[in-house]
Amino acid sequence: MAAGLKTVILLSFVLAVGFLLIILSCALWANWLPLLVALTFVLAPLPNALFGRFNADDFSAEYEGSGAADVGRFLTSMVVVTGFALPIVLAHSEVIRPAACVMSIIGGGLVYGTILAYSAAFRQDESDFD
Amino acid sequence: MSLPRANYDPRRVCVNPFPNISLDKHKHAVGVYVAGALFALANWQFWDAAILSRHTVDPEVHISFVDWVPGICSVLGFIIVNLIDKDRIKGDNAFSGDGGAVWRARLFLFIGFAFMAGGLAGSIALHVLKYYLREYSEQFLYYGYANMSQNVCFMLSAVILWLAQSSSSEYEYHLAL
Repeated sequence: MAAGLKTVILLSFVLAVGFLLIILSCALWANWLPLLVALTFVLAPLPNALFGRFNADDFSAEYEGSGAADVGRFLTSMVVVTGFALPIVLAHSEVIRPAACVMSIIGGGLVYGTILAYSAAFRQDESDFD
Repeated sequence: MSLPRANYDPRRVCVNPFPNISLDKHKHAVGVYVAGALFALANWQFWDAAILSRHTVDPEVHISFVDWVPGICSVLGFIIVNLIDKDRIKGDNAFSGDGGAVWRARLFLFIGFAFMAGGLAGSIALHVLKYYLREYSEQFLYYGYANMSQNVCFMLSAVILWLAQSSSSEYEYHLAL
């Protein structure tokens, strides 16, 4: 549990750094379009979390093949790719600076990695109790 | 004397068994993730070209509705292909009763793949007719390349999604036996 506490503190620092990078990428050039990246990456685990509940039935739990879970996975990976592609597209058409593009991609990656690592750690704790 | 082995396989060759990397268990999920990523990538490639076309100063050529048509055809084909029940295609009439259902499912599969192939061929034709033959500069040829790679990515996405789902149904079939 002590390791869990350290993990939580570390992940919160990483999350703060990620949001710092995204907000800096917006504020340094006074162009708030890269904030969409933060919104996208925060929304990314949502379809998996919603549709994954369809798997948690009593007997179909050992087999991960239901159609609803597939829809969740499809939407999740679409949203993740959207989060990486959006700043590149904006930088390509010179709406935002390339530096803002790089900063918002790194920040978004940190935010999404935090969410993934947190859910993975939480799931491991849950399976310890089972 | 015999050691109790939890996962003893009598067909094995080596004394120390190979590490059993169970990618099969996650093959289904990985396939669906890759298909979704390719789908989004296809969309963003074309939207990148469209946004670029909107934001360039003094353009010789714009992206118009004609450029959107192959992508729309591919998405329609993608939806049709994925709406088909995979068990109907295989033709075992265990639950479908007559052969008419199988025939209809195959007809819809053909229509779906025809839409996708039509989208791909249309994007190539559009690139050649609208951009390549008129000898625009490289900046505008990019619109045609983006359109072609969009449709290629749609088709790859559909194929990977199909393979992932059909492999899992085979697994389920063996499990049922």
